Amino acid sequence: MTAGGVTTHAGAWIRQNLFRNARDSILTVVFGALLAFLTYRALSFVLGEDWEIQRQNMRNSLVGPEISGTDLWAPVIGIWLIAAAVGVMIGALDRSQHADQPGAILDPLRPAHWRQIAYRTVARLWPVFALVVFILLLTGSTTGLLVTLAAMALAFLGRAAGVRLPLGSVRWAALATALAPIVAVLIIRFGFGIDWNDWGGFLLVAFAGAAGIALSFPLGIFLALGRRSKLPVMKGLSVAYIEFFRGVPLVVLLLIGSLVIGLFLPRSLIPSEPIRAVIIFTLFTAAYFAEVVRGGLQSLPEGQEEAAKALGLPAWRITSFIVLPQALRNVIPAIVGQSISLWKDTSLMFIIGLAEPLRLASAFTRQPEFRGQGLITLTLFFAGLIYWIVSFTMSRESQRLERKLGVGQR
Amino acid sequence: MSTEPIAEELRDATVTRGAGGVIIELAQVDKFFGDFQALKDVNMKVGKQEVVVVIGPSGSGKSTLIRCINRLEEHDAGRIVVDGVELSNDIKAIREVRRETGMVFQQFNLFPHLTVLDNVTLAPRQVRKTPRAEAERLGRQMLEQVKIPEQADKYPAQLSGGQQQRVAIARALAMQPKVMLFDEPTSALDPEMINEVLESMKELARTGMTMIVVTHEMGFAREVADRVVFMEEGQIVEVGTAEHFFTNPSEERTKLFLSQIL
Ligand SMILES: Nc1ncnc2c1ncn2[C@@H]1O[C@H](COP(=O)(O)OP(=O)(O)OP(=O)(O)O)[C@@H](O)[C@H]1O
Ligand SMILES: [Mg+2]
Repeated sequence: MTAGGVTTHAGAWIRQNLFRNARDSILTVVFGALLAFLTYRALSFVLGEDWEIQRQNMRNSLVGPEISGTDLWAPVIGIWLIAAAVGVMIGALDRSQHADQPGAILDPLRPAHWRQIAYRTVARLWPVFALVVFILLLTGSTTGLLVTLAAMALAFLGRAAGVRLPLGSVRWAALATALAPIVAVLIIRFGFGIDWNDWGGFLLVAFAGAAGIALSFPLGIFLALGRRSKLPVMKGLSVAYIEFFRGVPLVVLLLIGSLVIGLFLPRSLIPSEPIRAVIIFTLFTAAYFAEVVRGGLQSLPEGQEEAAKALGLPAWRITSFIVLPQALRNVIPAIVGQSISLWKDTSLMFIIGLAEPLRLASAFTRQPEFRGQGLITLTLFFAGLIYWIVSFTMSRESQRLERKLGVGQR
Repeated sequence: MSTEPIAEELRDATVTRGAGGVIIELAQVDKFFGDFQALKDVNMKVGKQEVVVVIGPSGSGKSTLIRCINRLEEHDAGRIVVDGVELSNDIKAIREVRRETGMVFQQFNLFPHLTVLDNVTLAPRQVRKTPRAEAERLGRQMLEQVKIPEQADKYPAQLSGGQQQRVAIARALAMQPKVMLFDEPTSALDPEMINEVLESMKELARTGMTMIVVTHEMGFAREVADRVVFMEEGQIVEVGTAEHFFTNPSEERTKLFLSQIL
């Protein structure tokens, strides 16, 4: 397409969508002005402030004050591992989805495709990239830049490997992607021997949030199915569990975490504070997931299960092949909402004294050179920004997923 | 056929027509929903390769009757035997009967999250443990039989009602059942799609499939039914050939009902 063609195309789009009639034009102008004003204010805040406090504390914000020196390689290796695994999976997925039209498979090793992938990835994850760029510009850290570039290179190479794997490797690639964060955690905790209590900042909450979501989701499904069970004991226990954990504030559960976990475990086995918090997040969120999933189960017409029964499928296959895939798909927005909720709740770890981002944000302002200058706005802004970017990305990804799975929806 | 019963004998629902022995037997079957009795002392036999059409007013228990045959409903008294297996609480027996019994529903009940081909191959793969390639070959053959082989890779929502119902038939047939149950397979369809589904069913009848069909399509009954069963208030009121129902139904209630649907 020529440049002129692009211009007329864009012109037509603008006329069609923004200035179709007088009312649309007025709305466009008014909201455009408002948007420009807000962008200006936000940018002048970000650019106008002196971010020295955040610049000096970047490492603290990201991994907490206890991880330093060579230990910093632990989270870096974790990120590289995850980046490579995700790359492999996306490649394998691309390959299997375009099995019958190999021309449509994007291969990162071909320059034309390379650019297309880069363009799409940035368009898809721009908030994350904006944050990374902001952090790199602020700190001016060459190591940081190299670490980031290496992560991107690994994702690209992973994808290149993924499209070269034999068809049908998607399952293994997905498994590897699921295992990568677990291996990353094991490397940090045991490979580098960084004690749970030394985890801090976004490393800590990312771990707590991801582990909490990954564990509470299956538990929630199990409870939802238990609640529908014909066995009275099963049903009663599920209902009791759900009602208990939904009825108590999360803050209370966190504060009495050792007591609650003591109900299930002997005292000597009660784990350290961060792990306890993860367990509490899991138990708490599972109750909410259970109700979300129950809603999904109820949304299915009776006929689905009947048709599956009439075909002679055994009960658990009906559940796993017919009922759950549809029920979960119907409640993706609520599932993601609950996940975002848990992600944000990880900041509550400050009340049990853990070095999570909000606690750190206020600690930075008590450092001698920054004390009493009202800089908490800056540090909290930064912490809030990261929380928001992750939440926003989850939300966008869920909408993508919904659109994708919407194929053939009745 | 020398064993062909005379018209008088056919008036008893336990006298079968057709080539082989009895494949479905209901004896003194009662079914309650709470206090409400939906089936009252139902006695009926279906012979191998026989096509039985069940008619009757709304709420007369037609659906309940055929749903008891594959245990989507549990009967409360009496015996139901399908291909030598008596239905009880024994989950193995139930699954055995369901494997040999295909069912087609009024609302199609296709699995919307699976492609047409996956709808058709799911049960053979998961229940019969047929390898994927073999199941897909069989599945495409079944889709061929109901004349929609080209729709294999679409999702159910992308098909017309008539096509969906034919996929439902193919899905049931892919299990290679001995008996097919149809519960008003055409009553959710737009008129112009009814025929394509009836055609598939007629073809199936011609292949010698044993069928119980709840339908008010009397043209279909006339063409392929060996017997027609008229139900009212949970009971079998009258049995006979389609011709019998057209020409000289004996019960007043039957006449009244037929005058409404014909
Ligand atoms: N699950 C149920 N719970 C309570 N009552 C039921 C249930 N299913 C059916 N019934 C009742 O049993 C009776 C027979 O129902 P059935 O569905 O077998 O009738 P039908 O002859 O198929 O009618 P239709 O032509 O409307 O489909 C009806 O009065 C119905 O209300
Ligand atoms: Mg009915």
